[in-house]
Amino acid sequence: MTTKKITEKKKESLEKKLDSLKEEIEKLKKELNEKNDKLLRSYADLQNYQKRIEKEITCKEEEIRKKYLLEIIDLYELLQKAYENSNPKDGIQAILQNIQHLLELEQITEIDCLDKPFDHYCHYAISTIEKNDCKDGQIVDEIKKGYKISDKILRPSQVVVAKNKNVIKKDGE
Amino acid sequence: MVNKMKKIIGIDLGTTNSEVAVIEAGKPVVIKSSEGNPYFPSVVAFTKDGEKLVGDSAKRQAVVNPEGTVMRIKRKMGTKDKIKLHGKTYTPEQISAFILQKIKTDAEEYLGEKIDEAVVTVPAYFDDDQRQATKTAGEIAGFKVRRIINEPTAAALAYGLDKKGEHKIAVFDLGGGTFDITLMEVGDGVFEVLSTNGDTHLGGSDMDQILVDYIADDFKKKHGVDLRKDLKTLQRLIEAAENAKIELSSTLKTTINLPYITVIENEPKHLEIELTRALLERLVGPIVEKTVKPCQQALKDAKLRPENIDHIVLVGGPTRMQIVQKKVEEIFNKKAERGVDPMECVAVGAAIQAGILSGEVEKDIVLLDVTPLTLSVETLGGVSTELIPRNTTIPTKKSKIFSTAADNQPSVEINVLQGERPMAADNKSLGRFHLDGILPALRGVPQIEVTFDIDVNGIINVSAKDLGTGKEQSINITGSTKLSDDEITRMKKEAEVHAEEDRKRKENVEIRNNGDTLAHTVEKTLGEIKDKISEDERQNIENGLKELRKALSGDDVDDIKKKTDELSEILQKISTNLYQKAAQKASSQQSTGPRGEPADESWSGHPSDNDKTIDADYKVKDKDKNKTDDKKKQDKK
Repeated sequence: MTTKKITEKKKESLEKKLDSLKEEIEKLKKELNEKNDKLLRSYADLQNYQKRIEKEITCKEEEIRKKYLLEIIDLYELLQKAYENSNPKDGIQAILQNIQHLLELEQITEIDCLDKPFDHYCHYAISTIEKNDCKDGQIVDEIKKGYKISDKILRPSQVVVAKNKNVIKKDGE
Repeated sequence: MVNKMKKIIGIDLGTTNSEVAVIEAGKPVVIKSSEGNPYFPSVVAFTKDGEKLVGDSAKRQAVVNPEGTVMRIKRKMGTKDKIKLHGKTYTPEQISAFILQKIKTDAEEYLGEKIDEAVVTVPAYFDDDQRQATKTAGEIAGFKVRRIINEPTAAALAYGLDKKGEHKIAVFDLGGGTFDITLMEVGDGVFEVLSTNGDTHLGGSDMDQILVDYIADDFKKKHGVDLRKDLKTLQRLIEAAENAKIELSSTLKTTINLPYITVIENEPKHLEIELTRALLERLVGPIVEKTVKPCQQALKDAKLRPENIDHIVLVGGPTRMQIVQKKVEEIFNKKAERGVDPMECVAVGAAIQAGILSGEVEKDIVLLDVTPLTLSVETLGGVSTELIPRNTTIPTKKSKIFSTAADNQPSVEINVLQGERPMAADNKSLGRFHLDGILPALRGVPQIEVTFDIDVNGIINVSAKDLGTGKEQSINITGSTKLSDDEITRMKKEAEVHAEEDRKRKENVEIRNNGDTLAHTVEKTLGEIKDKISEDERQNIENGLKELRKALSGDDVDDIKKKTDELSEILQKISTNLYQKAAQKASSQQSTGPRGEPADESWSGHPSDNDKTIDADYKVKDKDKNKTDDKKKQDKK
């Protein structure tokens, strides 16, 4: 074979390779474009989904608000009637029962605190008071009642906690 | 997926409270604590039993256990101070790490994945030691601290001020107990602090105190009792004052009403006091005034004049008060930026920085276009049936199945509409085309899928495909999203102005469509059930049908509705009877009953309950009259 022929052959195979590479590039380009489009679409989908969820949350909030406002309006009207009555005590008692029932339905319970040992989970200590006739850390006063909603804290009890000097001293010794 | 993008959170590690945020799908989201609050009290405690408490629970027991509780550790960062808690000593870094650990745990719980990288903010005046200490705290907590950034820089990032070219920013941060002013220069996304100043004992709690004192003094003057002396009444007073302060940010007047606040000589006393915004502003005025000097000093140190400042960013809850905003705007003689919650903007900015680092915030991806107006097709009775609502992010694709409005209808016309009005004629038609060759069938039977596909450039491809034959037609519409702002505003305004009459018109069309569909259905099925009902019943149906047809040929919509309801009622009674009979028959004859016979089927999807069921299944489109039934349930939402 002459060198010319060899180069010719080499050229041919190189061109073939070039063509196949070009084809490959085109294919990859196309694939990249498709992937890119897919990515953008999933991104847009996600954003649209977010928008929808936001809208749904607003709707839900509105619904819940309406529900509770209507309850309050009912109570408001009843209290108004009681206020206009010359002997409102019985009526008010019934209204209180209504409210109690509502709270029960929502699984709201009062948090017990007086005389109990302080518990940071459900009590919020507003202040301490020196008291040697109580256990150290015992709750001696309730400033604001606390509530649980099923087993979660709705609002911790605000409490005053006893400091027993004798106990503290003993600890220090 | 290989190499999943790791989430990095942004943490505003504060003196009293810390906040944390993350970028999700290009948007900052504030993460809630396990207690359900959007913040974490920066409080750490060890109980006598050695239990470690962080956040809300630590805060709640602070007064009971002062020797075991640490607050405001941020003020000790970078010092060699040691903190002694029940005999053990800790460094400020360790204490801060406890807070960061709690944040890490709660964030992981919230996001449902492991988080081990964070961006943490520090005050602009923090020196190298303080920054290093903060970084160390993060590392002790198990974070790789990707970056420590200045709080004012984060706040500016939350407002996107890194993208506005070269300019100068003033960040005014008035928190619960501290005030910081920072002047910065930004260019090419790089922030440079020019000067900082502030007051470490100035903030919202001072304002609350002044308001509480005012109310208590007023009560004392009237009743001779100091409400501050009794813890119970004081607590009620503090809460009421804080609420009033917040309320007066949006209203001009409020009344504090505390029934049974105290008992004087066996007589219950109520507290009632009216507060105006003017009064509140007079009371807190001196506090707000104290912010002026640090601002002026900061300007002086940076060798700047108020007119050199291009943007003002507000940080901290008290900056929600108008008097504060007015004062800042007066000092710098320009409007402050608005739109981001001043309580959250530092954490949000930290999250944005984190998002940039993680690659979650990629400008070209996040800034996808939205459709400015709703895109719909015209359906039966000239109604616009929505396919892609306004403000949908593109590229997007939506399909809906429609059907024919008449028996043996050979073709449907797709009229593509843009606009917010419910009737097609009031919207802009972007283009229309026909899909022919629909095989002869009863109305409502052919299934024609209409697809709107908008690409990233806003080009809409609308196609209609007969799912029976596979035949398809489509058009491309360009430039739909390139409406001028004026045009969009005009179209939206028109929709608002005509909302009521539009609603009425659409309702009328729906009433007519319902009546028409009912009449059509009855005509089709009457023959099939004739031998299953009595002569009287048949007569009843035919009369009702005649009445309805007569009403439909007229223009009295109320009459159409009345006649539709009447016929529905007749049918309901009869179908109930029919089902009862069928049930009896089935129980006596077992499986030999007429199950699956046409009579059963045609009734089952029909107006036995109410007129809604008719339309729920399909939509109808007619070539000439553009008639289509509509998913009523959807439209009524």
